[in-house]
Amino acid sequence: MQSNDRQMPASDLDAPMPSKRMVLNMGPSHPAMHGVTRAVVELDGESIVQMKLDIGFLHRGFEKSCESVTWNQCFPYTDRLNYVSAIMNNVGFALAVEKLCQLEIPERASWLRVIGSEVHRICDHLTLIGAMGMELGAMTVFLYAIEARDLLWDRLTELCGARLTSSYCRIGGVARDMPEGWDQKVIQSLDRVAELREEINGLLARNRIFMDRTQGTGVVTREQALEFGFAGPCLRASGEPWDLRKASPYLVYDRLDFDIPVGANGDNFDRYMMRIEELRQSDRILRQCFQKIGPGEIIASDPRYVLPPKPEVYGTIEGVMHHFKIVMEGIKVPAGEAYSYTEAANGELGFYVVSDGGGRPYKLGLRAPGWPMTASLPHIMKGKLLADLIPTFDSINMIGGEVEQ
Amino acid sequence: MSKAVIAALLERFPDAVYQPYVGVGGDACAFVQKDRIADVCRFLRDDPAMDFKMAPYVTAVDYLGANPRFEVVYNLVSTSKNHRVRLRVKVPEAELSVPSITPIWRGADWFERYCLDMYGIQFPGHPDPRRLLMYDEFVGHPLRKDYPLKGRQPIIPEREIDDLFRGPGPAGRS
Amino acid sequence: MAENNANVPSAPPAVAPKPPGPPPPKNPGMVTCTIDGREVISKPGTSVIEAAKTIGVEIPYYCYHKRLSIAANCRMCLVEMTNAPGGKLMPACQMPVAEGVAVQTQSNRVLDQRRATLEFLLLNHPVDCAICDQAGECKLQDYYFQHDLKPSRLDVPKVEKEKRVVLGPLVVLDQERCILCTRCVRFMSEVAKNPQLGVAERGNQSTIVTFPGKPLDSKYSGNVVDLCPVGALTSREFRFAGRVWFMSSAQSLCTGCARGCNTFLDYMSESTYRYRPRENEAVNQEWMCDDGRLSYKSLNVDRVLAAREGRGEGKALPRQEAVTRAAEVLKPLAQSKKLAALFSPVASLEDLLSAAVVVKEALGLTRVYVGGRPDGWQDDLLKRADENPNRKGLELVAQAFGLELRPFSELASAVAAGSVKGVWAVGAEVPDLAQAPGFGKLEAFVCQAYGTNALTPQATLLLPAAPHSEMDGTFVNFEGRAQRFELAYWPRGASRPHWALAAELGAALGLGYRWQTSRELFEELGKRLSGALGDFQWDSLPSVGKRSGLTPLQAGTVDGRLPGYRERVAPEVSEDARLALVRNP
Repeated sequence: MQSNDRQMPASDLDAPMPSKRMVLNMGPSHPAMHGVTRAVVELDGESIVQMKLDIGFLHRGFEKSCESVTWNQCFPYTDRLNYVSAIMNNVGFALAVEKLCQLEIPERASWLRVIGSEVHRICDHLTLIGAMGMELGAMTVFLYAIEARDLLWDRLTELCGARLTSSYCRIGGVARDMPEGWDQKVIQSLDRVAELREEINGLLARNRIFMDRTQGTGVVTREQALEFGFAGPCLRASGEPWDLRKASPYLVYDRLDFDIPVGANGDNFDRYMMRIEELRQSDRILRQCFQKIGPGEIIASDPRYVLPPKPEVYGTIEGVMHHFKIVMEGIKVPAGEAYSYTEAANGELGFYVVSDGGGRPYKLGLRAPGWPMTASLPHIMKGKLLADLIPTFDSINMIGGEVEQ
Repeated sequence: MSKAVIAALLERFPDAVYQPYVGVGGDACAFVQKDRIADVCRFLRDDPAMDFKMAPYVTAVDYLGANPRFEVVYNLVSTSKNHRVRLRVKVPEAELSVPSITPIWRGADWFERYCLDMYGIQFPGHPDPRRLLMYDEFVGHPLRKDYPLKGRQPIIPEREIDDLFRGPGPAGRS
Repeated sequence: MAENNANVPSAPPAVAPKPPGPPPPKNPGMVTCTIDGREVISKPGTSVIEAAKTIGVEIPYYCYHKRLSIAANCRMCLVEMTNAPGGKLMPACQMPVAEGVAVQTQSNRVLDQRRATLEFLLLNHPVDCAICDQAGECKLQDYYFQHDLKPSRLDVPKVEKEKRVVLGPLVVLDQERCILCTRCVRFMSEVAKNPQLGVAERGNQSTIVTFPGKPLDSKYSGNVVDLCPVGALTSREFRFAGRVWFMSSAQSLCTGCARGCNTFLDYMSESTYRYRPRENEAVNQEWMCDDGRLSYKSLNVDRVLAAREGRGEGKALPRQEAVTRAAEVLKPLAQSKKLAALFSPVASLEDLLSAAVVVKEALGLTRVYVGGRPDGWQDDLLKRADENPNRKGLELVAQAFGLELRPFSELASAVAAGSVKGVWAVGAEVPDLAQAPGFGKLEAFVCQAYGTNALTPQATLLLPAAPHSEMDGTFVNFEGRAQRFELAYWPRGASRPHWALAAELGAALGLGYRWQTSRELFEELGKRLSGALGDFQWDSLPSVGKRSGLTPLQAGTVDGRLPGYRERVAPEVSEDARLALVRNP
C-alpha cells in the first residue's frame, strides 16, 4: 500500500536535518596559529567551505622603520623577520646591499655566513618538526626538537652573542669571528642533533597516526605550487627541484657538496620529509664548511663601507672622523636598485633595495618566503577537513615575523 | 640568458616594453607600460621559451617628488629555465591603478593587496581588493613617503561583538 | 762705384716677424675653458672654483669664501691647469679662468695632493669629534670621507694649545682645532669692518687672537662661528646644546629688526636651538647680527601657553572657552569709540589680515593703534633701528582695509583718560612698557601674546598665541619685500597663531570665515592687498624635505644635511590627514 510518505515520515530519524554552516574563528591567539594569525573558517560539518585569513596582527612596520635608520642599523630589524632563522635574514639583506654597492666580501666572511645560515636552517627545521609533531599530539617530539635546537642556540650564543636575534652580518662581512674551538663544539652538537633527529624521525615517519593525518592532506600539485609562488621545501615537496643554492649559487655554496631532496606528492607528509632530509643535508654542509674554511679577514677592507678598527677610532682623528661619518650618516650606498635572493629555510627570501645615494635605505622591499604559502591556504583548504588545517598550517612554516613584516 | 627574455619581450611588445637595462649585478630589467603589464605577464607565463610559471614578487616604490610618483616592480623567476627578469611599471598618482596579474598567477594576490594597503595602488581585476595588514578603518597609506613614521590614527569605535563571527572587517562580510 | 756704395743708405736691419697674438676668444666677451673635459663659459675674472660650480664640479676648499678676499692658504683646492707655471698645481680659488685652459680636478696627482693636504691638516688636529659641536657639519669630516680615508701615520704627540679661549660674549675659540684658514680674520676686517681678530705666533704654534685685552665684541661676531669650517670657533650659546644631526631646519626669518634676515631655524621637538643665516643676496647676503642670532630665545622661554582669565595670576581656561569669553566681553563695546584695537608689527601678514577683518567687520572700528618694540640701534650693514619685522606689512594691511593707524602713545593717553574702556591687542609688544600699568584700568583687555612681558599681566583675558616659528606666514621688510617663513613645529601647548585666534574670535562674534590654514587665509584676503606685494608668491618657499629628481634623489634638507629625526608631519600630507593628526586643543 502506498502511504503518503511526505506528509508523515516514518520516524524522526528519517526527517531531513536542518543544517547551517558554522563560522569558526581561530586566532589570533591560538596555539596552532603560528605567530598571530586569524583564520575564519566556514564549516559544513567538518569540511571547510571557505576560509578567510586575517593577518596584520604582528605588523611592526619593518619596511618603514628601515627607511628611517642607516643601512647597518637595519640588521636588528631583519633579525626579527624570520626570528627562528635570523642569520639567514641578515645574510639576505647584506647580500642585497653588497650587490648594490658592488662590494666583494672576503672569503672567510662568506664561509662564516654559510655556517651561520646552515645552523639557523637546522634550528628552523627543528622548530617546524617539533611544532608539527606537538600539534598532532606527539609532545615528545617537540621536546626532543627543542633540546636539539637549544644546543645549537648555545653554539650561536658563543658565535654572535644571542640565541635568536643574532645581528651577525655587517655590510662587507660579519661582525665577529668564530671563537677558538667553536668548530669542534659545533660538530659535537651536530652529532647530538643528528641522534635526536633520527629519534624524532623514528617516532614520526612510520607512525600510523602521523601518517594518516599528514599523508594525502594539504596536497598541492606542482603546477599549483608554482602558481601560488611557493618556494623552498614546500615547492620541492610538490616535485619542482628548485633550490637557489644550486640554481644561482651565492656565497660559497658552489664549493659544497650537498643534495636537494625533492618530494613526489606535495602533501604534508612530503613537506615534513623535506625538512628531515634537509636537516641531514645541512649537517653535511656544515661539516664540509668546517673542513674547508681557511684563515682570513672577516670583513671587507673598503673604508667607504666598513668601520675602522677601534684603536684607531680612539687614538687618531682620522679614525674617529671615519667612524663618525659612517655611524652618523650611514654608509653611502650608490643610488640605484637591486633585487637579491637567497635560499632561506622556508624558501626564496628576497630583498628589493632602492637607494637614493644617502645613508638610509629609500625602500627596502621584502619577499618573505612564507608569504605565498600562507596566502594559498584558503585555496588549498577549500573543501578539506578542519583537522587537516592544523598539519597544513604547520608544514608550510608560516613565521609571523616575516609574513607580517 | 635572462637578457634573451628582455630581447624577446622587446620584439613581441615593442610598444609596451621600453628602456631595457642591465641592473647592478647583472639583473635583466625593463620598463613596461602600465596598461599592458597583464598582457606581458601572460606572455611570460605561457610562452614555452619564457616559462615564468612561478608567481612573481610584486612590490611598489614611492618616488615622492617624481612624476610619475609610484612604481610597481615585478620580479619574475622561471624555475625551469632559471632566468630572472625585473619589470618596472611607472604609475602616476592621478591614475593610481595597474591591471591585476592575480588572474594569471593566484600567488600575486597578497602582494597586490599589500601594494594597495601600503601605497594605495588599485589593481582592477583583483578578486579580493581590500587591505591586507592594516585594519580596514586605517586612514592613509603607511609606506608612502609623506606618511610620517610616527603617525597617529583617529580613534575608531569598537566593532560590535557580532562582527567577529561574520568575518574580518566591513569589506570582508559576505 | 765706391761713391754709390757710400751714399746708398743701408737697408734697415731685418726685423723678425711678430709672433702671432693669442687666438681670439671662442665666445667674445667671455672666457671658455675646459674643466674635467667639459666646456665652461664664464665671465672674465671668475675663479676656477666658481666656474667649476656652474657645471656641478665640486672642488674642496677651506679658506676660500665667495664673499671674502682670497687667501689661498689651505691648499685644498689645488688643481691641475695647463697654464700653470712650472707645471705646479694651482689653487683654484685664486686662479681665474683663462681662454683655452684645461683644468683637471680628478687626476691622480690632484687626488694625491688632496690626501696629502688633509693629512697635514689632521696631523695636529685633536681627537675631539665626540665633544666638538661642529660634528655633523664639519668640513674636515666631510672632506676626509670624500677625499682621504687613509689612516693616520703620526707617531709623535700632537701640538697642544689652549682649548677654551673666550674671545667675546658670543664666541669661544679652541686653538687646537683651528686650521688657520683665516676666514674669521678676513670676515671681521672686510665685512664687519671691525678687525678684531688676527693671527699670532708662527708655524704650527699659530693661533687666532684678539688684540691683547680686547674682546671680540663686534655685533657681527656670531658669523665667524658659521664661517669656521671646523669646530675652532663655536657659539657660547649653542655650545653643547645639542647634536646637529638630531635637528631639523626650517626656513625662517629673523624677527629682530625690519630687515628680516633669512635664517635657518634649527629645532628639535618643539624647541628652537639656534638661527643660522640663510643666503639671500638681496637682503642679508650670508650674515646675521648677533642680536638677531640670539632672538631665538624668546621662542622657547617666557611663553604664554595657556589662556588665562583675570589679571595677575588669574584663572586658567581652555582656549576655546577663553575665546568665547573674549567675544562676549568685546561685543558690547563694539562699534563704539570705547573699544580700541592694538596691532603689533611683530605679527605676520596673515595674522594682521585676519585681525583686520575682525576689526573691520565684527568690531566695526576704523582705526588701529600700532604697538611694536621701541627703536634700537642701526648700522649700515644689516641692522635697522626699527626692531619690528612687519611694520610695512601692517601699513599695507591698514591701507587695504581702510584702517587708520595711530601711534601707541595716543592709545596710552586715551586709556589713562578713560575714554577707551576695552582693548583688543594682537601681540603684546608695545614701544613704551612704562605705560603698561595704565592698562590695568581697562574693563576689558583681551590680549593675544606669545611671550610674557610687562603688559600681559594686565590682560583680563590672555590668549596664547604662537610666534612665527609655529606657523607658515609672511613678513614684509622695510624695503617692501615680502618674505615667507615656514612652520618649524606645531604650536606649543594651547597656543594658536594670531590669525587662528582672531578667526576664532571673529567666528564667535558672528563672522563666517572658516580658514583651516594660513594659505587659505592668504588666498582669500591677500587679494585685497592688490599688488602691493609685487610678484610675491605665497608658495615661494620650497617645502623642506620635498625630494626632486629620480636618480639620484636628494636626501636631506635644503641645506644639504641629513634631516635628523623629524617628528612633524611633512607638508605634502593632505590637509585632512594633517588635521586628523594634529593634537587635540
